[in-house]
Amino acid sequence: MSRAMRTRIYYAILWMVAIFFFLPIFWILLAALKTDADILAVPPKLIFAPTLEQFNKTLFGRGTGISNTIPYLVNSLVLSLGSVALATVVSFLAAYAFSRYKPRATNFLMFLMLSTRMVPASATVVAIFQMYNAFDIGLRNLGLISQPFFRGFPGVLLLYTMFSIPFSLWILKGFIDGVSPRYDETGFVNGASRLHVLFKVVLPQVRPGLIAAFIFNLIFVWNEFLFNFILGGQGTQMIPYALAVGLVNAGGNIDWGYVAALSILYVSLPVVMIFFFQRYLLVGMTFGTVRGEV
Amino acid sequence: MVDVTVENLTKKFGNFTALKGLNMTFPAGMVTCLLGPSGCGKTTLMRIIAGLETPTTGVVRFGDIVVNNLSTRQRNIGMVFQYPVVYRGLTVRQNIELPLLEDRSLSKAEREERIEEALDVLEMRHAADAEVSELDNGTRQKVACAREVARRPRIILFDEPITNVDINSKLQLKRALKEVFTRLRQTVIYVTHDQTEAMTLADQIALMNEGEITQMSSPRDLYDNPKDAFAGFFLGNPGMNFYEGLEVVAGAVTCPLFPAPFRITGRHAADRVVTLGIRPEHVRVSKTPSPGAVRAHVHRRAIVTGGQYLVTLRVGDLSVRAKVPASEGEAIAVGEEVWLELPPHRVRIFGSEEVTETT
Repeated sequence: MSRAMRTRIYYAILWMVAIFFFLPIFWILLAALKTDADILAVPPKLIFAPTLEQFNKTLFGRGTGISNTIPYLVNSLVLSLGSVALATVVSFLAAYAFSRYKPRATNFLMFLMLSTRMVPASATVVAIFQMYNAFDIGLRNLGLISQPFFRGFPGVLLLYTMFSIPFSLWILKGFIDGVSPRYDETGFVNGASRLHVLFKVVLPQVRPGLIAAFIFNLIFVWNEFLFNFILGGQGTQMIPYALAVGLVNAGGNIDWGYVAALSILYVSLPVVMIFFFQRYLLVGMTFGTVRGEV
Repeated sequence: MVDVTVENLTKKFGNFTALKGLNMTFPAGMVTCLLGPSGCGKTTLMRIIAGLETPTTGVVRFGDIVVNNLSTRQRNIGMVFQYPVVYRGLTVRQNIELPLLEDRSLSKAEREERIEEALDVLEMRHAADAEVSELDNGTRQKVACAREVARRPRIILFDEPITNVDINSKLQLKRALKEVFTRLRQTVIYVTHDQTEAMTLADQIALMNEGEITQMSSPRDLYDNPKDAFAGFFLGNPGMNFYEGLEVVAGAVTCPLFPAPFRITGRHAADRVVTLGIRPEHVRVSKTPSPGAVRAHVHRRAIVTGGQYLVTLRVGDLSVRAKVPASEGEAIAVGEEVWLELPPHRVRIFGSEEVTETT
């Protein structure tokens, strides 16, 4: 078999596998563009008049289940972007400290940090729920808060930040290790302070790592359901919660139009980010050990 | 431009002593090379001077000022590392300008003037607007040098700046550095393990071994008059021939390399046992006898840099390496009998120190 033929077969297989995995998403996209009647039509309709009716109803009220999903979208955006941004800053500083000062048992400490991600969420959620409740009761008794703090926005934000830090730390330490300490020293020699070196010399060189860490954690927080469902007090719920709670309509049937439209809205942000930053993700997956020219 | 003095400088890393009570002065406006084998403490000394390491004991002075408690940024020094440190994403010009922007006392015109001067001295005008990622390692190292030169610090430290560049860039960079040193007359401390670099660039060389300065003098003097066997071995390619453990009887040693007893003079005149050394290029090899020559036979012959021949000769059990010009080397065959002469004024006398380790 010729080399050109082999290449053609290779690409044909790649395309088939890619299409196979993309089909469910494509089916959801089609459903989101159909009317309720078209969605439930048997046999399924592949040719139909596309409409944005499902998106309109999902976003601005369909009278059943969850009537307005915009607050959930906003919560998802604020909690994801906020917690991941905070985690990235903290992890960058921690990674610099681990990389440059090399405290004793650095590897063990790094392992301990990552091990928090190995515990199943369902094993800790009840304990954290009780802890957060106790904290809130204590703070209220002290007269420091009138609204829930830990079972509100700040608590959920801190929890997601805490869960995002270990992975970011691992990624960023790898990247900072790849930046020679001679860069820092040249900065000091040239009259820069430690903060200056940190943010103007080291940070620009680990930008791919920062982006990779940001996106990986954003996907994690964006998809998080359990903690949001159990811990999230009134007004902190995100889209996964809205999807789970709002999918049954008034008649007791699953509202497939709602599921399809919200799912498409829901995956849009990660898809866009991954599309534009996929090269950083590839570098990030190697923890900075294979840097490439990005 | 100030001189740098270190007094009783010691540095310990755990149980390992990297510097053993050093006392020396790096004169203002001169290029001093710290030369020595890997691990001898030269980089540690430089990093202490830069403020990047803290000495265990001892004092570092810039002029009359003790700088031990000053941070690196307060010492007003420049430093070029082995690894070319350039800021990616910036052009050569921007790289040079970056630290100048921090100096609020400089006007834009002054900054420009300094950048142009640095570009000129390092012959980089053609690459001024190139992005540094596009440059090879040698040119990047030039950018790192230009950045430090443009800042006009009191002292510039170079930590083996030529080691990590290719052969062609090495020559260019060496020439550029020589030009920098000649034109700017700054106080320069230059660390290297390469004797050719030290010989080419230095006004004076401080030879280091195992955390100590073993000798400090001009390159020529260090080469011609090594104070100990280490200096004799470390400088030269190859280093000196050594003949150790020679017993001094009535002020002279008897050695098969000399037709008559060799008289011991100078500071080792009273020693009971001495070591003699001679550089291979000072050994004379001839096909005809002369008054100071002994018979030897050619054991091995190899071409070394510059078309010269390195000939190994045997006199009894003793081996002598000699560097001879190409025309003479070609006329000598392996196994042939020749005449060997060690001119007495070229022979150096050392104490009875054990030189086996260095050789």
